Amino acid sequence: MHAWLEWARGPAFVFCFSFMLLGLVRHVGVTIWEIRRTLRRAGDRSLPLTAIVKATLTWLLPADRLRREPLFTATSILFHVAILVVPIFLAGHIALWARAVGVSWPAIPNALADVLTILAVVTAAGLIAQRLAARATRALSKPQDHAILILLALPFVTGFLVMHPGLNPFDYESVLFVHVMSGNLIFLLMPLTKLTHAALLPGTQVVAEIGWHWPKDSGSRVGAALGKEEEPV
Amino acid sequence: MTDSRTKYSFYVEQNALEATDRPRRFLEAFAAVLEHSSYNLPLDVYSRASVRCGRCAADCQLYQSTREDRDIPCHRSELLLRVYRRYFTRSGALAARFGNGFTLTDEYVDEMAEAYYRCTACRRCKLTCPIGIDHGLITHLARWLLAEVGIAPKALVVATREQLEGVGNTSAIPVPALKDTCEFLEEELKENFDVDLKFPMDVEGAEYVFFPAVSDYLLEADTLMGNAAVMHVTGGSWTIGTGNYDGINYGLFYSDRMMERIVKNEVAEVRRLKGRKILIGECGHATRSAWFVPTFCGPDAPEVVNCMQYTARQLREGRIPLKPERIEERVTYHDPCNIARAGRITEEPREILRAICRDFVEMTPNRTENYCCGGGGGTVSIDEIRKFRTGPLGRRKADQIRATGAQIVVSPCANCKKQLREVCEDNDLKDVQVVGLHDLLLKVLDFGPAREAARRAAGEPAADQTAGSPTVLARSNV
Ligand code: SF4
Ligand code: SF4
Ligand code: SF4
Repeated sequence: MHAWLEWARGPAFVFCFSFMLLGLVRHVGVTIWEIRRTLRRAGDRSLPLTAIVKATLTWLLPADRLRREPLFTATSILFHVAILVVPIFLAGHIALWARAVGVSWPAIPNALADVLTILAVVTAAGLIAQRLAARATRALSKPQDHAILILLALPFVTGFLVMHPGLNPFDYESVLFVHVMSGNLIFLLMPLTKLTHAALLPGTQVVAEIGWHWPKDSGSRVGAALGKEEEPV
Repeated sequence: MTDSRTKYSFYVEQNALEATDRPRRFLEAFAAVLEHSSYNLPLDVYSRASVRCGRCAADCQLYQSTREDRDIPCHRSELLLRVYRRYFTRSGALAARFGNGFTLTDEYVDEMAEAYYRCTACRRCKLTCPIGIDHGLITHLARWLLAEVGIAPKALVVATREQLEGVGNTSAIPVPALKDTCEFLEEELKENFDVDLKFPMDVEGAEYVFFPAVSDYLLEADTLMGNAAVMHVTGGSWTIGTGNYDGINYGLFYSDRMMERIVKNEVAEVRRLKGRKILIGECGHATRSAWFVPTFCGPDAPEVVNCMQYTARQLREGRIPLKPERIEERVTYHDPCNIARAGRITEEPREILRAICRDFVEMTPNRTENYCCGGGGGTVSIDEIRKFRTGPLGRRKADQIRATGAQIVVSPCANCKKQLREVCEDNDLKDVQVVGLHDLLLKVLDFGPAREAARRAAGEPAADQTAGSPTVLARSNV
């Protein structure tokens, strides 16, 4: 087990984490490149910047949604906060980074981390429940939508057990192994699944606007490409 | 013929039913569009980032009343995104190789045809999507691709053909009939308001060239008289061009190719008359499609102004004299999505309404969050789907109107007005009157000062009161 654990925290982690970073950077890069290309070709290059900034902020800080759809929005916000804050600001994780690459940053108290960890698990369960309960989401959901929520909860469940050995009925190293590997798997899946939205979200409102900014003469150029210039309506 | 009435819920032309090889041609059109237009960006981002959270469903007036899975916005958009992913992304091609077998079939094309004409492309659902997915854009694109394989509602195609290759406008009104109508309206104005007012025709060098929804000449006399009256009392320099007097652009609803041609014809008419700006009448989609003028014609194209923007500014500057009377009935305002959704025109109409009505009430929600009347995306012109339009699509609007208790619903959009009238008829709101904004304004407009000015002008030696001569029509009246 020990050797496996070393492998999971060592090479496997390095690979998955780099894969995630490079993958997300690539997504962002490709999107920015496409945005620039689209704008360069656009007949109309003026953009309603204030509206876009406003929409972007609304979705990064969805206070307004909270008022309209309190249950779902609250669950979703808490879930996102918990799963972002804990892995990054847990003292134990920071210590690992410090040992490996020599950088560190302020940590949150472990008690808070505990609360957020429980919150992450509870809200993940809540999101699954709401997914199943509402007819529209039930219809839209694919199996992987549920699977990914379970996968996201897994490192939190196991992390909690690792932090509280007294409560852990299982073998410590096995649980730690599952903890690390589920984390690795999430990193790996980030650029390959809808988790990509973590990187693309800030740009989506811009994209929605620029989507309507087609190139000059684009209609007739498509017509020409299809050999339909002379075709009657 | 019988077939064309049964295959889809809307009629298509006969040749659409004989079309073969549609999946291949659909993909060909898709490829051409991706190459020569710029839909890649949203398709790419949406297909990678959609989280299937279901928020959008709650916002769509259609899903609210049908509760059918196929009416969930994300579900509908996924129909096209699936095609995009499979045929135009590397991962899709890869998945296909490993037997993840989605193939575009004839039945699938039919499914899309039905689905994308159930959505009015009102874009309300974009507001609730955390990813900002613009289903209106997807519907817009999907309909274009469908049109390239022959699937488009006959009503839209026939009107567009008339506009581009026939008489020159969607209602097939020839120039002599246009002139007759305008003369008739002039007489009406003379009779009812004692005002000598002209609908200027082909005046060169006017600031504004006027493009209303051409159907207004047949159906919305009051709106047009209101428009003309405002131009008259404010001394606006405007003209109707006999080369092109139709702002309607069904291209927005089914084909960028058509949209571009129609938009360019407007610009050509403005250039022919050496005019400076495009003045759009009370029509939501005419306005929105004209906003694409710079897109298709580049940045030097003439500026686009909606008549409400003009009127509100004149009112603010105190150039529209009003009688002391006000509209007494309770009035509410329906925001046409095409001008309100992006927040471009929401306050101007309210400024005007507050000035002329004593009892103006808002419906909720309103402005950028308004519900579509249910006739958007050209569906209002498709008579065979009226039941669907005023039922599932329009019920939400009917409830909203009922809740305001208004006797008059104002909407500055030819499409919305037709639809709202039918919605009211079919939803037990028979006493509600649906009118345009300038119709109401006309009722309280004070022609006194303008009449006075005209009289003074007539008293002068070089009086230019020879009605009918274009130089008179172009003059400033203030
Ligand atoms: S664009 Fe309008 S009609 Fe279409 S799905 Fe969205 S809310 Fe519904
Ligand atoms: S709100 Fe957006 S992400 Fe959520 S289901 Fe609808 S389209 Fe998909
Ligand atoms: S018809 Fe009117 S309300 Fe409906 S989509 Fe068009 S502009 Fe909006």
